[in-house]
Amino acid sequence: MASTIVLPGEPLGPSATNIPGPGSHIHAGHLFSSLAGPLAKSSTSKSTPNPTLTVARPSGILIPETGTTVLGRITRTNPRLANLSILALGPSGEHTCRDSFPAIIRQQDIRATEIDKVKVAESFRVGDVVRATVISLGDERSYFCSTAKNELGVVMAVSEGGNQMVPVSWREFLDERTGARELRKVAKPV
Amino acid sequence: MQADRRRLNAPAGGTAPPVFASANTSPPRRRRKADEHRKIFLQTGIVPSAAGSAYYELPPDPATPPLTRKSSLKITCTVHGPRPLPRNAAFSPNLLLTTHVKYAPFATKTRRGYVRDSSERDLGLHLETALRGVVIGERWPKSAADVVITVLEGEDDGPAGAHSGDMGSGWGMLSVLAGCITVASAAIVDAGIDCVDLVSGGVAALVHDQSSEITTVLDPAPAEHVTRAACLVAYLQSRDEITEMWMKGDAGGDLGGLIESAVQSATLARTVLVEAVKDSTEARVAAMSPPELPSTDAASKGRPKDVVTTG
Amino acid sequence: MPPYTNIPLSPAELSYLHTSLSSTPPIRPDGRTPTQFRPLVAETAILPTANGSARVCFSDGTEAIVGVKAEVEKTRGGGMEQDVNMGGDDGNDEGKGEVQWLQLGIDIPGLRDDDALPVFLGAMLREALLADGGLAARLNINARFHWRLYVDILLLSPPLSYPLPLLSLTTHLALLSTRLPALVSQGDEDPLFNDDWQASLPLYPSKASQPPITLLVISVQDTILFDPSVPELAVADAVLAISVLQTPGSRTWSVVAIRTVDPPSRLTAAGVPSSLGSAGGAVATATNAEVLLARERDEIGSVWRPPRGGVGRKVIARMVKMVVESGGVADEVMGGLEGVEIGMS
Repeated sequence: MASTIVLPGEPLGPSATNIPGPGSHIHAGHLFSSLAGPLAKSSTSKSTPNPTLTVARPSGILIPETGTTVLGRITRTNPRLANLSILALGPSGEHTCRDSFPAIIRQQDIRATEIDKVKVAESFRVGDVVRATVISLGDERSYFCSTAKNELGVVMAVSEGGNQMVPVSWREFLDERTGARELRKVAKPV
Repeated sequence: MQADRRRLNAPAGGTAPPVFASANTSPPRRRRKADEHRKIFLQTGIVPSAAGSAYYELPPDPATPPLTRKSSLKITCTVHGPRPLPRNAAFSPNLLLTTHVKYAPFATKTRRGYVRDSSERDLGLHLETALRGVVIGERWPKSAADVVITVLEGEDDGPAGAHSGDMGSGWGMLSVLAGCITVASAAIVDAGIDCVDLVSGGVAALVHDQSSEITTVLDPAPAEHVTRAACLVAYLQSRDEITEMWMKGDAGGDLGGLIESAVQSATLARTVLVEAVKDSTEARVAAMSPPELPSTDAASKGRPKDVVTTG
Repeated sequence: MPPYTNIPLSPAELSYLHTSLSSTPPIRPDGRTPTQFRPLVAETAILPTANGSARVCFSDGTEAIVGVKAEVEKTRGGGMEQDVNMGGDDGNDEGKGEVQWLQLGIDIPGLRDDDALPVFLGAMLREALLADGGLAARLNINARFHWRLYVDILLLSPPLSYPLPLLSLTTHLALLSTRLPALVSQGDEDPLFNDDWQASLPLYPSKASQPPITLLVISVQDTILFDPSVPELAVADAVLAISVLQTPGSRTWSVVAIRTVDPPSRLTAAGVPSSLGSAGGAVATATNAEVLLARERDEIGSVWRPPRGGVGRKVIARMVKMVVESGGVADEVMGGLEGVEIGMS
């Protein structure tokens, strides 16, 4: 365990020669830790001569932030948006949320190309498990999410006949028992 | 006098009320030095289902005989959050911190009810003031955090045998609040909420000792003294700032000295706080599996692990 | 849906206020000096059915009325022993009153009794009134009976500004005008009072013993201001409520209670630094790490940021000194109150 444990209020270094990363704050020209956890120092290069000091939270991410990849389940759809209930944070759901967060995927955020021709009914159905990124904190009611990348989209889906489906292309799921294909915006499996 | 035959009469010879031996042979006196704090027991992570939790206890002095009243303090704190605001709450750019302090009904000499009374709400407000200065709320928009404190055993308000009067204005409240501040700070750090520093609570009092002189004592146990004035501070050591101050009584001319002593008491409590938080963080970090260790970039690098799709 | 904070000021306005208040000399929005109080209207003995009453109106429109009523109550355990008293009787001395004999109620329109503000204000005013112990002693009639004092505080206007100094001044005046009927009975018999109200005795008999006054003090960086208005409170770094009592017989002041009040500035939203703003084509949504970096780096405070941490010890010491020193703020306030005629209802 090479990294040192720092506590909130511990000085980390002068702010002139260090960049504050998540888990730190500046006070009176000096960098201080704001979490209790291991300290990490990023590597320096010619373009970034100052290292970034980060303190990691031992419990992981707590609430969705802009840029976090999340996993959620679709709860409602309508022609302009789909309602998502965020259940876990992290690309493979590393941190399960104690309470689910409501989120919205708007029609223009489902795909990266031809966004005005997207049909929400052909991208998501209620009950699909979706991987998305948070693009904004949104309004009082929900976060805003987007699936406009190859590896984002539906990860698990159940067919109309009630069987689990497998992905076959970027926009189709196949129900192996019945052979039926259904349209979704599929996440690229890695 | 003739016996009254219509009623059941008392014994003819008269009665004498029973005389009980008094339990307290002598009221408890402070055995510690004036600048010595009681030993504190502090442990975090006691409630696994909550985001953060801590337990604070001032164990009774083992040297006193079991029959004399000993004051001790047992406080538990759980922190729930940060979690999303309820649907119809207005947008809040900062973390919405709510505190809830409750004495258990069996916590004090006279039983308290299940509903919070005004003194408990007042304690909750003091605690909220102390904690709001420490938490960096702007990093948690649209979220709320609840700090729930239960006092399992509280401090007596005055010397044993004295009529304690109104429960709300007693001196024991200050010591309880100091404990609440320290335990809430440990629980909040345990929950992973950003804080500028660890905040600890300390109390100092001006008391009349045996020779009826006025001395300053740190960490007073109100059952052991006749208190004249007392002061509580919530102190941030790395910034040398006070987030909450509560002073009662007539301090005479030495108010500055009383505040200094309270800060000193808070510093003593902070050493225990630092130990406890450090131990629990080290245990947590050691238990983290290697892939979860922080990499130097904010997003995780490498191949993202996919969720297994059946079929 | 009401906004979360009821401070209707934008980050730009907050930053402007903060800068002007922390400059030397401080520039207050209404042009007052740091220790200058706003004019107020005060009158006492306005309620004929109360033992004492007062009404104070501040110049910002806030108004409060306090009514004091007293009732005779039987002292528990006085004279007749109902329980066998164990453990000696150190503490229940004759002449020493009980703190329960003062009951304070605050009614603020729009808030319930158990909301945060009435609870905090009630506890603070109570503490200050009971601090010197003299009031409880004066409520004693004889060994078996005592007066129970009900102080009812009504804030007539909605709580736009922090009502503590208003309520404390009104309570002070109401208690000064409180009169208790003169005792005619003797010893420990059931109390009998003189029907003639002209013969009543004031609760605070002489100028020497007075109820305490509570002042609200704020600090904005190095500036200390008294009687803050709503916008000044919104940018305060620290807010302190200090209760002072004049030592009987002399003109010196002693502090009897201090409480820190949570500054409302902590609930305000931070401004967006220009490096993060979406004006001019910059990226509209930045990741959390970028936002943190921009905010933390903005040390010179080009945009408003809610204050963190607490208040330094030296600042507290300065605040207390400004209040209690001779010729200080407490003396000024007392001088102003001496002009109020204490009538008899």
